[in-house]
Amino acid sequence: MITRLVFLFLCCISSIAVAGNTPIKIEGAWLQAVPPVAEATAAYMRITNLGQTPLQLVGASSSVATKIEPMITTRSNRNGQEIMGMEGVEHLEIPAGGILELKPGGSHLMVMGLVSHPKEGDHVRFSVRFAPGNQQIDVDVPVLQQEPK
Amino acid sequence: MNEAVSEQKTQNAPVLSSRAIARRMFIAAVALGVALLISLLVTRYLAYHEVQANYYGQALVPAKEAFDFHLVDQDGKAFQLNQLQGKAVLFSFGFTHCPNVCPTTLSDLAKVYRALPANEQKIVQVLFVSVDPQRDTPALLKGYVPYFDDSFIGLTGTQAQLAEAAKAYGAFYEFVHDSSGAPDSYTVNHSAITYLISPDGKWKLLYNFDQLTDSKMMIQDIERVLAGR
Repeated sequence: MITRLVFLFLCCISSIAVAGNTPIKIEGAWLQAVPPVAEATAAYMRITNLGQTPLQLVGASSSVATKIEPMITTRSNRNGQEIMGMEGVEHLEIPAGGILELKPGGSHLMVMGLVSHPKEGDHVRFSVRFAPGNQQIDVDVPVLQQEPK
Repeated sequence: MNEAVSEQKTQNAPVLSSRAIARRMFIAAVALGVALLISLLVTRYLAYHEVQANYYGQALVPAKEAFDFHLVDQDGKAFQLNQLQGKAVLFSFGFTHCPNVCPTTLSDLAKVYRALPANEQKIVQVLFVSVDPQRDTPALLKGYVPYFDDSFIGLTGTQAQLAEAAKAYGAFYEFVHDSSGAPDSYTVNHSAITYLISPDGKWKLLYNFDQLTDSKMMIQDIERVLAGR
């Protein structure tokens, strides 16, 4: 009963929360606004695994793009200058009780094949997918020009 | 045993003494050289720290002559860095199919630029150099770069021009094709550095990706460079 109340409370304070077999909390989601010529952008959020077993973020779907996949950012050094790159991954792991932070310069959901180009201030809907099982969480994602502080 | 050694020493003494003088002179010269080198290094180290202490970005001590790259702008016209003499220039290398690092860099720079007073905005220019001319045509760059701020200019060039410009600034980029094998399906790993050139054409500072978020510190540096300090 108390846990259920806690979940309900979390539902209210975060952008959206709990669903499926594992309680998951998603907060601070946002989509980087990009110009109409751009084919890709990135979505960021903080995902908390409130359950007792590990979770995997496997991707998302949304009407704004044809493909949304997890990516990691790689960082290396050459001539004393930082080289950044990205690599697609099958999934991003979130340990039991752990937090996965998707943010600029780090891991993110790469949003590819943009069908529309929402502007700053718009809101889009993302269905974020997790394994094991086929857990989906719908998240309201505001479109922003800049990482919120 | 001891006697034998000392006898041998006495015997060899006259021959050794001229050699010994040469050796001592050599040692003295080496010691002097080392001392000079150390003092030179210490002076440079102190100079570096004095300059570095004044800036948020990483300073180049001494500041280098900024390489005058020859590229093509978003209107398809020839563009060279020297056109911007009299302005402080902030630029980075990237590509538009970059979902994370590049839009973040441009958004951060737009925030910095817009926080500058209008009289300073006139003498600050932000450039974005695409190292992916195969996909980033001037027309595409025109739709991409000024989106972040009207004043920003997108540049690209031939592979040779881009390689030359990147090399001059110590930047690196490589194309990484994915498993699909499609000719247009690749990503670019690149130096995520922003370079700051002073109005008199000196490459003064560089910034890491993570440093760009602090607009206040960035503006402090830009204003110092504009003031010629």
